[in-house]
Amino acid sequence: MANVDFRTVVKSFGTFTALHGLDLSIKSGEFVALLGPSGCGKTTTLRMLAGLEFPTSGDIIIGDRRVNDLPPGERDIAMVFQSYALYPHMTVAENIAYPLKKRGVPKAERGPMVAKTAEMLHLTALLDRKPKQLSGGQQQRVALGRALIRDPKVFLLDEPLSNLDAKLRSQLRAELIELHRRLGRTMVYVTHDQLEAMTMADRIAIMEGGNLQQFAPPAEVYARPANRFVAGFIGTPGMTLMDGMLVQSGNGWAFETEGLRLRLPRLIDSAKPGAAAFGIRPEDVHLGSGDLTGEVVLTEATGHETIVTVAIAPGVRVIARIPGTPALRIGDRVPVTLDAARAHVFAAGPQGARLNHPSGTADADEAFNIATPLRVASKGVLS
Amino acid sequence: MRKFLGPIVLNVFAWTTILAVAFPLFWMLVTSVKPQSELFRRPPTMMPEVWTFEHYWHLLTQTNFLVYFRNSVMLSTVTTLLVVTVATLGAYSLVRFRYRGRESLAFMVLFTYLLPSVVLIIPLYLMLVSLGLSNTLFSLVIAYTTFALPYALWLMRSFMAGVPDDLEYAAMVDGASRMGAFVDVILPQLLPGIISTALFTFILSWNEYLYALVLVNSDDARPLTTGVMNMLISSFNIEWSLLMAASVMMSVPLIIVFAFLQSYLTRGFGAGAVKG
Amino acid sequence: MTTLTQTPLERRYARLGLLLIAPTVLIFCAVIIYPLVSALYLSLFKVFTPTLESSWVGLANYRELLASGMFWSALVNTLVWTAGTLTLQIVLGIGMALVLHQNIWFRSLARSLILFPYFISTVVAVLVWKWVFNDLYGILNHLLMQAGITNMPVDYLGSMPNAMISVILVGAWKYFPFVVIAVLARLQTIPEPLYEAARIDGAGPIARFFDVTLPQLRDVLVVIIMLRAIWDFKEFDLIWLLTGGGPSSSTETLPIVVYRQAFALNQMGMAAAWAVSMMAILLVFMIVYIRKTRDKGAV
Repeated sequence: MANVDFRTVVKSFGTFTALHGLDLSIKSGEFVALLGPSGCGKTTTLRMLAGLEFPTSGDIIIGDRRVNDLPPGERDIAMVFQSYALYPHMTVAENIAYPLKKRGVPKAERGPMVAKTAEMLHLTALLDRKPKQLSGGQQQRVALGRALIRDPKVFLLDEPLSNLDAKLRSQLRAELIELHRRLGRTMVYVTHDQLEAMTMADRIAIMEGGNLQQFAPPAEVYARPANRFVAGFIGTPGMTLMDGMLVQSGNGWAFETEGLRLRLPRLIDSAKPGAAAFGIRPEDVHLGSGDLTGEVVLTEATGHETIVTVAIAPGVRVIARIPGTPALRIGDRVPVTLDAARAHVFAAGPQGARLNHPSGTADADEAFNIATPLRVASKGVLS
Repeated sequence: MRKFLGPIVLNVFAWTTILAVAFPLFWMLVTSVKPQSELFRRPPTMMPEVWTFEHYWHLLTQTNFLVYFRNSVMLSTVTTLLVVTVATLGAYSLVRFRYRGRESLAFMVLFTYLLPSVVLIIPLYLMLVSLGLSNTLFSLVIAYTTFALPYALWLMRSFMAGVPDDLEYAAMVDGASRMGAFVDVILPQLLPGIISTALFTFILSWNEYLYALVLVNSDDARPLTTGVMNMLISSFNIEWSLLMAASVMMSVPLIIVFAFLQSYLTRGFGAGAVKG
Repeated sequence: MTTLTQTPLERRYARLGLLLIAPTVLIFCAVIIYPLVSALYLSLFKVFTPTLESSWVGLANYRELLASGMFWSALVNTLVWTAGTLTLQIVLGIGMALVLHQNIWFRSLARSLILFPYFISTVVAVLVWKWVFNDLYGILNHLLMQAGITNMPVDYLGSMPNAMISVILVGAWKYFPFVVIAVLARLQTIPEPLYEAARIDGAGPIARFFDVTLPQLRDVLVVIIMLRAIWDFKEFDLIWLLTGGGPSSSTETLPIVVYRQAFALNQMGMAAAWAVSMMAILLVFMIVYIRKTRDKGAV
């Protein structure tokens, strides 16, 4: 078990810089997800940790050792690859035993260890097969087994579930959470799937354009996105974000956009008037009461909830999440409340910093509970 | 009606062409088992009236054929082993390592792959003569590497590129050194490519004529190509049956490859020639 | 690539990479680069082969060579041979590939039979064809006379233009399988929906060939043509063994002249000059080919 530190790590490929000075401290035993769109630098980060890429500058530390100059095999890590990278010419048993063999574990000891790992992953019946004869899910388990058979300091997982179908994915997600709880090992997990990151990780490092955007527990990333990129990236359906102007209104603040003026509580002290963005999550938009009136543009029912798109001003649409299947039709006019206490304000620009203190607790679950259907909300914010 | 006729017309046309292409080879076989007297019959017999293997017997007992054959086997085997070994390591380096000059090396391989033998043969001849190596099989091994090595490197490079990077990385994470990963993981994956390359190199060496013509003029070191041609030139009246028997015998390794390993030849084609 | 090695680990790997390529580089230098440079150097001397006595003549060899009609006639012969055999190879190769792409009887046997000429030794091919071409007892003359196409035995290799035509035909026979395999491999990757779409649009088999197949084959054909052009241009064995450059010098191509100069006329320096001149012409093809493959990201 060990902590992992990235200290101002820069990685350039020729003239292209993939990582601009990453600082990241992962605690011992923590499950950290590196999350971001493709090309954000998350895979490069993981591969540098594994020793498969070489940092242009900066230090990478595992435990108390600087590992920059250690080859992958001496870093005491295990890795699961997106492609699984199972050795095609070896049987499942040989694949799983390979890390032991390479570390000089005597043959007699390898057998029982392989058997134990195989049993844990329900692979016992498949030990004599070649990878080609396995399904995707089984291959995934073998790849996991090869990583688990040793007791490395850090587990690295590079999009391990992305080649599986949805059902298998959710099943393996649960198994991975369970595994982490049981082993208590440091795990670094690269994914572009926020659901995986949100459900599995202790903390999520959200990356974009070679920069770390936010590094925080899932609930906080959801409730208090550090900037506009994170706000837009996390959450499905996404936060409604609108561009407009921040203006002083009396001794408070307001946000103005086309035909709409929203009063804002609790801005940070450094906020200045000017271009800004206003964001509100679908569960903080309430239909059925309020000072605003909107026209239903689109309803998407998934059974247990309905996503409703409402136009509240010309060119301004917000998305609301309503439990169940309300009797709403396209074209209906409904009263709308935007829960200003739970709104988000960001400075202008794609990565504009957060400008307000959110009122909601850091507990994302509560945010879900607040949003009851067609509840009469009293906190109208239209000035 | 058209539904049935179409395929038949196509098949008849196709097989007529194919048989026409293959006819000289058929004729070679037929001639090699005809008695000398039947050879000059008019009209010629399409199938031998009398089958005889006397020409083969004559070839093996009365001529230097077996010496040539042994020379060719030795020569091609040694060349293949040398070239495939060097090319496998070289291709691994060219595809999987980063160092200065790597790109220019890859370019040089392609350049030499296209280089004509006649340009190299004069200086090579002078070089081998001055080293006192002329008239030895070893001089031919050296000469054959000039075309076989670029060819093998070019093929191996393409096969190497087909082995996923992740396999090597996984082995390294699992505790293997780079060479360890190469031996444990890459080499087994590369095996079909190595076999392909070895077959091509062997056939290329087996069929080579120009270097053998220039560098060797003693029967002790003559391979089959120049040896058999000599039988044509040196005999007073050309014994076609004998020559056809020699041609058949000379093609035996090839026939074996065709019968059992043809897929490797096709694979080599795809990797080397067409993908560039 | 401008990435310079920086970390010790990277440097260690780079050293290993250089170690692995070292045998290749050494062999290349000894048997390819050094001879190539000496060929250039040698072409500036007059060398008598048996004694290897040499004297510096500068560019005189080149002047003499370019002034002689022999160079130009050999170049023309080379181009005629290359263009003729290449055209036949491509046409026959595409045709046969299209046939083998169909579901014909015993397809894999057919493929083997077609492939065989490419892999047999040129010596074998030449011996067989010489026997087929034999003026008195050759099967070809017999068949032609029986069919009434000719009533006199044809001299295939000893007269012109027969000799050139025969050489071109045998070259096409020997090398067209290369085109077949290469084209066949590409044909198998053309997506079927393209043909279905063309069929729905009312295209017949011929229109489908020109509108779907040929455009899809374009890239691979360019590569094949370049590669075969280079190889045909430098072909020595086949022509030398069939005609020896004759009758007189009517099938004498550049590689054959190089060989004759060096080992029959004993003019090593002159031969080197010929070889270098031939290289210069080939270089044009080679550069085009290398460009083409590099465009496709192969280098």
